[in-house]
Amino acid sequence: MKISIRRSRRLALAVALGSVLALTATACGDDGSGSAGDKGDEGSGKGEITFWDNNGGVRTDIWKEIIADFEKKNPDIKVNYVGIPAASAQSKYDTAIQGGGLPDVGGVGTAMLAEVAVQGALEPLDSRLAKSSLKGKLSQNLVDGSRAAGGGDKLYQIPTSSNNGTLWYRTDLFESAGLEAPTTWSNFYAAADKLTDKGKNQFGFTIRGGEGSIAPALDAAYGQSGITSFWNGDKTTANDPKNVAALEKYVALYKKDTPSADVNNDFTKMVAQWDSGTIGMLSHNLGSYQDHLKALGAGKFRGLPNPTQDDGSRVQISNPVDGLSVFKSSKNKAASWKFVEFALSHEENSKFNKSAGQIPANTDAAQDAWIQSAEPTKLAAEALNGNGTKIVQLPYYLPDWNTISKADNEPNFQKVLLGKMTSKDFLDTVAEQLNAAQVDWKQNH
Amino acid sequence: MITEIAPAPERVEPPPTGTRGRRRAWDEAPRWQIYVPLSIYLVFTLIPFYWILLFALRPAGSTSLVPWPMTFEHFEKVWNERAFGTYFQNSVLVGVSTLVMTTLVALAGGYALARFDFRIKRAFMLALLCTQFVPGALLLVPLFEIFANLRMINSLSSVVIAETVFQLPLSMILISGFIRNVPYSLEEAAWVDGCNRFTAFRIVVLPLLRPGLIAVGSFAFVHAWNHFLFALMFLSDQGKQTIPVGLNTLMSADSVDLGALAAGGIIAAVPVVLVFAFIQKWLITGFSAGAVKG
Repeated sequence: MKISIRRSRRLALAVALGSVLALTATACGDDGSGSAGDKGDEGSGKGEITFWDNNGGVRTDIWKEIIADFEKKNPDIKVNYVGIPAASAQSKYDTAIQGGGLPDVGGVGTAMLAEVAVQGALEPLDSRLAKSSLKGKLSQNLVDGSRAAGGGDKLYQIPTSSNNGTLWYRTDLFESAGLEAPTTWSNFYAAADKLTDKGKNQFGFTIRGGEGSIAPALDAAYGQSGITSFWNGDKTTANDPKNVAALEKYVALYKKDTPSADVNNDFTKMVAQWDSGTIGMLSHNLGSYQDHLKALGAGKFRGLPNPTQDDGSRVQISNPVDGLSVFKSSKNKAASWKFVEFALSHEENSKFNKSAGQIPANTDAAQDAWIQSAEPTKLAAEALNGNGTKIVQLPYYLPDWNTISKADNEPNFQKVLLGKMTSKDFLDTVAEQLNAAQVDWKQNH
Repeated sequence: MITEIAPAPERVEPPPTGTRGRRRAWDEAPRWQIYVPLSIYLVFTLIPFYWILLFALRPAGSTSLVPWPMTFEHFEKVWNERAFGTYFQNSVLVGVSTLVMTTLVALAGGYALARFDFRIKRAFMLALLCTQFVPGALLLVPLFEIFANLRMINSLSSVVIAETVFQLPLSMILISGFIRNVPYSLEEAAWVDGCNRFTAFRIVVLPLLRPGLIAVGSFAFVHAWNHFLFALMFLSDQGKQTIPVGLNTLMSADSVDLGALAAGGIIAAVPVVLVFAFIQKWLITGFSAGAVKG
C-alpha cells in the first residue's frame, strides 16, 4: 500500500535526542593527527608527548614508574602512556601510519621495525645518539642489530632489551630420572625420550606447532647443523641439507615425545601446559620466566641457553630486540628524544629489564647485581656475549619477513608435523620466498 | 480519544493429536537416548567454562582440578591493578549507547522499509544485505580518517557510531519484518481515532514489537560489548578502553597470566550471560517471528 510520507516531528526528535544523548555521554575526542607523511617538528622540548607501549598490560606498571621518574626530572614534559596489546601492536601502528594518530615515541621491536620504517614513519636516530650521553653506553651488538633490522643504513630504533631463546627444563623430573641437564643436543634428545611415558600422560618435550612456530624450528635446525650464516651470497642457507636433516630429527619428536595437541601450540598454550602438566622441557625465551616461577616455584626448573653441539659450540638464531623509536610525525621530537635517553639510562634500563626478565641494552645496567642472581638471564647474557656462541642473524630487515615467517609458512609447518609435507619441501618453500624477498629488497634499497 | 483496540479473535487450534503423539513418543523413549547425547554435548560446552572458573578461582601455581582453596586474588588484580573497573564502565557505556542508537535508527528505518514504497526500495534492501559481507577491518582506515576529520579519535562516540553503523543493516531488515507483521489496519484504526502517525506507532505498533526490539537491542549490545577492533584502533587513552582490549593486554608478547586472564574473561562474560538469561524467551520469539513471517 502506498502511503503519503508524513514526517513525524516527534519521532525525529526522539531519534535525534537519543543520538545526542549517546554521543554526549561518550565524550569528545581528538583528530589523531600524525601519519607517515607528516614531517613533524623538533618542538620546544617541553609540553606533552604520547608514548605507545607495544607490550601493554604486563609492562604497564614498569613504564608508568619510568614515566613518573621522567616527569619528576623533567617537570615541563608530560608523557601520555598508551598500552597496546602485544599481538595487535603492528596493526595499530599500520592503521595510524595510514590514517593518522601516530605517537611521538613508541615501542617498536625489531620484528616489526622494517615494516614500519619502510613506510617512512620513523625518525633516523644516528645523529641524536652520536651527540647523546648514551653514546658508548649501549651494547654495540644490539645497536648494530637494530640498524640492520631497520634496513641497514639508518638507526630507527634504540634497543632497550635483548631476549634469548631459552630451554626451560624441570629439574625435579630430570633428577628423579637420573638425567644430565640438557646442555647439548645429544642430552636433549636422550632426555626427551627417557622422560616420555604416554601412559602417565608424561612427555619429554613440548613443541611449538601453532602461531610463532617458524623461529623455534629454524633455531633447532641451525642449532644442530652448526651453520652460522643465514645467507650464502644471495641465497639463504635455510634449506641447506644439514638444516633439513636437523629439522627432520626435531620434527620426529612430535607425538613420539610430545603431546599430539602440540600441533596447535602457540606460546600461550605451550607455556600453560608446561607450567601445569608433567612435561620435561620447553623451548621458549626469557619472557616466560615469571610464569614458570609462579606456577612451579623456585627450585623446580631451570632455564638454559639453547643446547650446544657435542664439541661445546653453540649456534642460535637472533632474537627480536625490543626498543624505542621516535616518529617522524612527532611535533615534539626534542622531548621525545629526552624520554628515550632517560628510559635507556643505567638506572631506568636496569629497572625495566629486571621487571621484564630480559638483558639490558645499557652496558652498565647489564652489570647490575640482579642479573647475577637471575640465573636464566645471566646464562643468556653470557651465551650472547660469549665467544662460544655464533648468532645466525635472521633477516628482520626484509619487509616481507613477518609474512613469510608467519602467515605464509606456519600452516606448512603444521603439515610437516602431521606428516603431510616433508621437512625438505617446507624449507625449500621458505627458502624460495626468502630468496625472492631478498632480491626484491636489494632492488629497492 | 483513543479507543482500545479489540483483541483479535482467539485462533481455533487444530486437534492436538500431533503434539500428543510427540509427547507420547517422548514419554516412551528410553531416558538414556535423551540424556546421553545431551550430557556429551554439555561436556563439550561446560568444560571450557569450568576451566575458566578453575583458573580464576584457584591460587596461582595450583594444579588442583577443583578451585579449592578458593581465592579472589585474580579478580582483585584485574579489577584494581589492571583497571578492569574502568574498562567495564566504558564497555557498558559503549554497549548501552550502541543499543539505544541501533534500536532507534533501526526502528525508524525499519518502519520506512515496511510501510512505504519508494523507487529504489529493493536495491536499498539488497545494499543493506551486501554490507553484511564487508568485514569491519576492511573499512578501518577510511573510518579512522573520517573520525579523525571529525575530531572524534580517542572518543567513545567513534566506537559507538562505528558499532551502530555495522549493526544497522541487519537490525533494520529484522525490524522491518516485525513491523510488516503488524496489521496496517491497526494503525489506520488509530488514525481514525485521532492519532497522528507517530502516536499511532507509539501506542499501537511499538508494544507489539517488543520481542523484535529485545532481539535487535540485545544483539547490538552483545556485539558492541565483545567487539575488539574498533575500540583498539579508535581509542588510545587508557581510561577510555573497553573490556576486550583490556583482556588482550593480559597477554604479553612472551608471557600470560592465566589466572588474571580467566578472571577477566568471567568479568567480560557475566553481563552477556545475564542479558541472554533475561531475554531468552523474548529472543527466541523475536527471531522466529522476524524470520518466518517477514
